[in-house]
Amino acid sequence: MDRRTFIAYNAMAATPIAGASLAQAVAAATTGPRVDFTSNLPASGTFPEKWICGSSSAMDNTDPPVQVHWYNEHTAILRQNKAYSYEAPFAPLYFGNDRVLLLDEGFVTLRNDWDQRGVVDECIDEWCARNGRDPASMELLVAFSHLHADHYAAVNQFVDRPKTRIMGLTHEEMLGFWGMTNFPDERVAVDLGGREIWVWGSPGHVVSEFAYYDTYTQILYTGDMFYRGRCYISFWEPWFDSMKRLVEFCNQYPVTHVMGCHVEISKTGEDYPYGVTWQPDEAPVEMTVQQLRETYEYAKTINEPGIYFTGVVFLCNQTRSTTTIDKNPYRY
Amino acid sequence: MAQNQNSTYNPSLSGNPQSATSRAYPNGNPDLGYNLPGVRHTDSVVPLHPKAPVIHDYAADGPAPGNLAFRWIYGSNIAARNRDPRVQVVQYNEDTYVLRQNVCVHWEAPFTYLLFGNKGALLIDTGATGNPEHYPLRKTVDAIIERWAYARGRTKVPLVVAMTSGEDIAQNQGLAQFAGRPDTTIVPKPLAAMKQFYELLNNWPSGAGKIDLGDRVIEVIPTPGAHKDGVSFYDPYCDFLFTGDLLFPGKINISNGGDFVASLERLRAFAARNSVKWVLGGHIDMMFVPGKYYARFATYKPYERVLEMEPHLIDEALQYAREVKGKETMLIRPDFVLMNGVSPDARTREWPAGVPNIDAPRPF
Repeated sequence: MDRRTFIAYNAMAATPIAGASLAQAVAAATTGPRVDFTSNLPASGTFPEKWICGSSSAMDNTDPPVQVHWYNEHTAILRQNKAYSYEAPFAPLYFGNDRVLLLDEGFVTLRNDWDQRGVVDECIDEWCARNGRDPASMELLVAFSHLHADHYAAVNQFVDRPKTRIMGLTHEEMLGFWGMTNFPDERVAVDLGGREIWVWGSPGHVVSEFAYYDTYTQILYTGDMFYRGRCYISFWEPWFDSMKRLVEFCNQYPVTHVMGCHVEISKTGEDYPYGVTWQPDEAPVEMTVQQLRETYEYAKTINEPGIYFTGVVFLCNQTRSTTTIDKNPYRY
Repeated sequence: MAQNQNSTYNPSLSGNPQSATSRAYPNGNPDLGYNLPGVRHTDSVVPLHPKAPVIHDYAADGPAPGNLAFRWIYGSNIAARNRDPRVQVVQYNEDTYVLRQNVCVHWEAPFTYLLFGNKGALLIDTGATGNPEHYPLRKTVDAIIERWAYARGRTKVPLVVAMTSGEDIAQNQGLAQFAGRPDTTIVPKPLAAMKQFYELLNNWPSGAGKIDLGDRVIEVIPTPGAHKDGVSFYDPYCDFLFTGDLLFPGKINISNGGDFVASLERLRAFAARNSVKWVLGGHIDMMFVPGKYYARFATYKPYERVLEMEPHLIDEALQYAREVKGKETMLIRPDFVLMNGVSPDARTREWPAGVPNIDAPRPF
């Protein structure tokens, strides 16, 4: 059995025949009807008008460390509070009939700093209560979009959690987690129990990055390689190829929203400089397929390092350590 | 002080009073004798139950004694959960206070100085946050003044509020809290009005203004360059130069290269004529390892450099300011970084020759 089959393997089905009736009896007591994730697509959902986005005085912030937004009843999106970390990444939580997928963990390591795992557990409890499941029967997959600490830092909060699989912190383990052998072109289907998430490689911001497509909401999650802010492109050619892969995917399949991991830009297109803990007028996290296409078209005209504003995102082509956008306002 | 003027890291300035190396003589130096001249500038000469207002002798030979013997609070990993004081107050000596804004209220964490004389007090700079709930500067200053007035047997202490730069939003936000305060003079923010207040209309920037606190006359030196309305203050009692954004241990954003060099030349000439013990700036960005600094917006800075700068750093700053003048560039020195015409977030791969390149521990 390869790794991918193993992940998708239903533990119930593996029970020996003799114990099957018993196991099914126990399951029947706690298992509500299976949710159908394959009809009436795309499943509708909403993004909030405004996310929690820090405060002028960080120590006076009274918002929760993570905002939990239910996009629809089977999809939650978590967002870290800016006053708890300036990175404030977004983290989708996809529910299937058998398992839950957490994509990205916040920029926090210790549970006593703030309890990311507690928040995830609460979401799972809530979903299970709504759908008549036993939370202990659900498997949790702790994965991330790419190999940067603001996306994986919280993995160790989950190490002692039962029925949990955690993505490893090397390129090899990340690929192995999804059972990939031909990165980045190979597209893998992860079965959460009636709900498929498609995963493929999307290098460019870093080498080890994935794109995730949820077949139920049809949200395309593009991590840090394409988001509303400063897309730090470390490797131009792979990034451009990844963009091409995304656009070609959008030509082939319906996509409702394109969603990145951060927001670093205001509604008027102003840059929020790296590290700010308050973004009072930030742009929405979701983007359209059209914006992805336009960015790809814009990218075709770029042939040297620099910072380019496409109207939607900043493309920082290999400039990370030498140039920035902000200016000294007092120059005279 | 038994200190090596040229060393980059000076353990006696590390700011940790508990450290065995924090002072050159942790148990006192008997060779200095017991009755040092500075004793008459301390509160030990203030009567316990004054019957009349105490007149203090501010005519010091050399710097008045004092010590910044406490570590600055340094924010926390999770800024929202910080519970440190919003304004940290350190008494340098009985007539000189250093206040600092908590870095988790505002990342600029500016310093504010409160000086007393026989006729009044001077507040230099006002912090980066206006909301008194978040940053109760006025309340803190009022409390210090009240206690000081009690000890000196005074009912009224007129206060002057001045700024190293009226345009600097990291230093002028607390000003609104002092509006309508009785016995208070606020130096106006607009450049022309400010010049007029200091009587510098005709000789800006070559002249000098004065703020008389009563036997402690603070000199106002025009020092544009980082801000077009920048001024520095000289306190002849403690021998401090308060330089705001012009010269501080951090990333110095040069807003006009010519003015910046001219201002440093003026400061150097001033320091040659007058005794300067320390240069005290408005912020700290540097870490305690040479040439390394905290990122903008950082709310957790456990390894900061100390605030005080030795006066020889004026010469060093001048030398390198001349070097970067007219160029859009960033230049790292052990105790400060010059940013000329580049983004405040700019980075450089140029490392100064002869300076050890130490990777400071990075808190997570």
